[in-house]
Amino acid sequence: MEAQIQTLATQALAEIAACADESQLEALRVRLLGKGGELTALSDRMRELSKEDKPRIGKVLNETRASVNAAMEARNAALTAAQETRAFEGVDVSLPSIGFSQGALHPITQLMDRAVQIFRRMGFALADGPDIETEWHCFDALNTPADHPARNEADTFYMPDGRLLRTHTSSIQIRTLEHMAPPVRIIAPGAAYRRDEVDATHLAQFTQMEGLYVDEDVTLGDLRGTLEFFFRELFGEDAEFRFRPHFFPFTEPSFEVDIKAAALGGGRWLEIAGCGMVDPAVFEAVNLRRGDSALDPERYTGFAFGFGLDRLAMIMSQVPDIRLFTDGDQRFLSQF
Amino acid sequence: MKASLNWLREIVDFEQDAASLAQLLTKAGVEVEGIESKGASIPHVVAAQVLSSEQHPNADRLSVCRVDDGSGSPLQIVCGAKNYKVGDKVLLARPGASLPGNFEIRVGKLRGVDSEGMLCGADELGLAENSEGLLILDPATPVGTPLGELFPADTVLDLEITPNRPDLLSHEGIAREVSALTGRLWKASQGFVPETDATGAVAIHAAECPLYSVRHFEGVRISPSPSWLRQRLEALGVRSINNVVDITNWVMLETGQPLHAFDTDKLRGELQVRFASEGEPFLALDGKTYLLSAADLVIADDSGPVALAGIMGGASTAVDAGTTRVSLESAVFDSAHIRRTSRRLGLSSESSHRFERGVDVAGVFRGSQRAAALLKELAQGIASGWVAGSGGERVDVGALLMGLTPVRHVGLRLERITSLLGAPVGEARVEQILTALGLSRAQDGWEVPSHRADLTREVDLIEEIARVVGIEHFPAGTRAHFSPSSEADRRYDHLMQLRRSAVGQGLFEARNLTLVSEGMAQAALGSENVLRVKNPLNEDQVVLRPEVLSGLLDAAARNARAGVKRIRLFEVGRTFAQEQVEERTHLGVVLAGSARTPNWRSATVADADLFDLKGALAGILNVAVEFEPLPASALLGLAVRVLVEGKAVGIAGQIRPSEARARDLSGTVVVAEIALDSLLSGPKRTALYVEVDRFPAVTRDMALLAPSGLTHQQILDVLNAAQEPLLRAVELFDVFTDPTGERVPVGSKSLGYSLTYRCSQRTLTANEVNAAHTKLKQRVTTELGVQARE
Repeated sequence: MEAQIQTLATQALAEIAACADESQLEALRVRLLGKGGELTALSDRMRELSKEDKPRIGKVLNETRASVNAAMEARNAALTAAQETRAFEGVDVSLPSIGFSQGALHPITQLMDRAVQIFRRMGFALADGPDIETEWHCFDALNTPADHPARNEADTFYMPDGRLLRTHTSSIQIRTLEHMAPPVRIIAPGAAYRRDEVDATHLAQFTQMEGLYVDEDVTLGDLRGTLEFFFRELFGEDAEFRFRPHFFPFTEPSFEVDIKAAALGGGRWLEIAGCGMVDPAVFEAVNLRRGDSALDPERYTGFAFGFGLDRLAMIMSQVPDIRLFTDGDQRFLSQF
Repeated sequence: MKASLNWLREIVDFEQDAASLAQLLTKAGVEVEGIESKGASIPHVVAAQVLSSEQHPNADRLSVCRVDDGSGSPLQIVCGAKNYKVGDKVLLARPGASLPGNFEIRVGKLRGVDSEGMLCGADELGLAENSEGLLILDPATPVGTPLGELFPADTVLDLEITPNRPDLLSHEGIAREVSALTGRLWKASQGFVPETDATGAVAIHAAECPLYSVRHFEGVRISPSPSWLRQRLEALGVRSINNVVDITNWVMLETGQPLHAFDTDKLRGELQVRFASEGEPFLALDGKTYLLSAADLVIADDSGPVALAGIMGGASTAVDAGTTRVSLESAVFDSAHIRRTSRRLGLSSESSHRFERGVDVAGVFRGSQRAAALLKELAQGIASGWVAGSGGERVDVGALLMGLTPVRHVGLRLERITSLLGAPVGEARVEQILTALGLSRAQDGWEVPSHRADLTREVDLIEEIARVVGIEHFPAGTRAHFSPSSEADRRYDHLMQLRRSAVGQGLFEARNLTLVSEGMAQAALGSENVLRVKNPLNEDQVVLRPEVLSGLLDAAARNARAGVKRIRLFEVGRTFAQEQVEERTHLGVVLAGSARTPNWRSATVADADLFDLKGALAGILNVAVEFEPLPASALLGLAVRVLVEGKAVGIAGQIRPSEARARDLSGTVVVAEIALDSLLSGPKRTALYVEVDRFPAVTRDMALLAPSGLTHQQILDVLNAAQEPLLRAVELFDVFTDPTGERVPVGSKSLGYSLTYRCSQRTLTANEVNAAHTKLKQRVTTELGVQARE
């Protein structure tokens, strides 16, 4: 009988392995393990065995039944898995995606935000001021004489009440110093207006980034370090700098910053920013307005800087015409 | 300001070539914007006269010329040009000349005819980029004159002079700067005529003229200027007129003092400086008549204005070929005054350019003395006395004549240099720099000469030191300090978050101009109280936009015309109104075209409508957004008020089809304009945890047949008013109407709601849910008169 069991087991395992689908496997299960099945029949014959043989043969029979069951389960799982896999066969995964619809931030906003993030790492806070400014905030307090050419109606937009559209974000320096005592460390992105004829490189309106740091012992070296760090972060470590002495009424000494970097097309010096040490006359003008001496020029020094984001974005992204920035053309906006 | 390198070398002996000098000046703040080579100096190229010209026997397009080059024996030259005639003076390259491009001139044969050189065009000599035919010389040019004398080689630097440095608007001024930067010495100045006593006075009726002088000359002979004078003026962009006028320009370019020459015989009576009378006409040298105002300063004789002070002389008293007596004006006028008149009349000149920026009073007599020397040398002019006058008490003429120039005392502390610049500069170096710039050491500071009107304070002297030393001397600092975030920081972050959410909603950010046309301002929602600029540049930019939609609608139209099918634009920016708060921050949105990108699984997608817009707004603002009906407007056929937490924050709607068509937009176009300021205020709220439900929810549907006019909100209000404690959510899953009236009667609509019930303490039984649901259904049907459908 033992031999009979062995033979049946070998045969059964082979048949299980050969089952091609679940129905064949089920038929086999009934034939072997069902009522009157072949293994079941062998179990029924246990009664015929002697007392000595019963435990040994019984054990063999149980082991055989277990291994047949296990083999059937394994085969069943394999057949199910194979069937599931077949269901996914032939799917063309190269078909286009569905539902992807992402807009884009304006390139100037993107550049502005990069700049803001860099300055924030250096401890600058943001400041703000109105587009419609008084002459005092835009010019007088910034040491710009009443007959300065920039104040002419040919160059500056005026409101009927004598105020104007700020010609630079430097007016925010004054707005900030009016109500804050040193230390002051701010940046201010914003719109500025000049009465320029519109062409590929000029708009009557553009976006500037202004910066100001006033404290005890702020030096020209700090100005240099701050701008060099900022522009290296923006353009990369290869940026080279040339601080060219220049003239602005509200800084003394004043510089224009020329930069050469691969991110700017490399090769040539590009005029990128204006900067300088705050002119003591600016502190004095604000003190007079405040009615105190919170900005004592003997005690405090400061630096200020400004640069145009439009021009920078044009150079960095190789945009040939500044008007593309204000056209609102989605074919342009979706490139950034 | 154009500067001749040759001229600078005549004044200061420096070694640098043009490129290194340009670098040196640029580094010191005198930006060199261009370097241009002028003239040429090529050996064996001389002036020659064409004696004869005959057809070449073997070539149709060539001629055989005989030319006189002053050597005594005429040369035979084969020439291809046609623009000359016999007798013309031209440039001849003799054998041995080497023209630009390594072109060697040799004796040779051209189509079998001997040619002993080449007649040249301007381009072949490097005098011009492009030219046609031969360069024809002045008939007075002596034959044999070398090219280098006719067109002296020079380099012209184009300098950007900042408005604080009018002292650099002359060659002497630039030379002074070069001397300071190179440490090289100043050569002796050119000839000046020694001063005599004044022969009279000029009446000055305006404080705006601190000093006015006129020097008289007799026996003047007008002629063309010698070529050295003419060439140099022309190289610097000044047209040569005649010897007298050229001398005035020369002296201005040399010393910075503008001069004007009158023909003495055309003047009537004494000159005076006065204000014009209102409406007084003045015919200027440019041939135009200007109507003057009482604020314009003029030089007048008995007949009226003969010059617009500091800007331009008059046509009636101009020096011409018949002039024999000259009155030479040298003066100083108030810079602000000249600027105002020049701008008002739209008339400027080299002279007004200098007066506007400031002319050194100490240079007035020096300039006219220098001119006197040149007039004697080049026009046989004999000085016959001079007159001067001063408006106000500001100028000590006597002291000026003695060469005593006014100086200013400015203090300077060495420690202040360190505290402003960040590193010390040694006392010896400071002394060297300031001395080289023409300042002299005084007690507790420095004496500043009058030509440096920009140096009035300690910080101005420190600026000079920083400029000359160079910023590299001061180590880059990396100081920072902690800055608390400001209100502007919070606003910025909030606005950036809104922008990013809008991008996530598939929108593209536009940044439109804030100055718009009247039409654009009105075409949007139509605001009153708009702000306008007083002096618009053109009619496209007159109004400060009252809404961001003004520009967005225009941009949408441009996109439609460019063939963009799905327009999804937003802008976050400033708007303006003549109200208590003038400047606000608005969000604008325009959606046109399909709500989602059509794709291969569903080729047709409905256009975005008001409800897509509602979803987009909620997504951008990150809060629930409610709409409330508004009367239709000129732009919006379907208009709604936008509410956030019960507060009105803006307007939205669908544009009338006619308005959409007018912008070339097809299909549904929805827009929104949201005022953001009230949504931005206050610090960011931190969310608080609410326990998540642990027991299962049960949903029951409620199908209602309601009159068309009944709103979803009315149904919601009734359901909410019941305050059923187990009700957790109400979801509308279907709205159905049937125009045929078959499935739903006309005038009614079918609404399908799914109501979710849940208890946070236990699992609900079916009976509890059914009881609650039935109660709610009854309330809705009885209170709203709707019918429940099973």
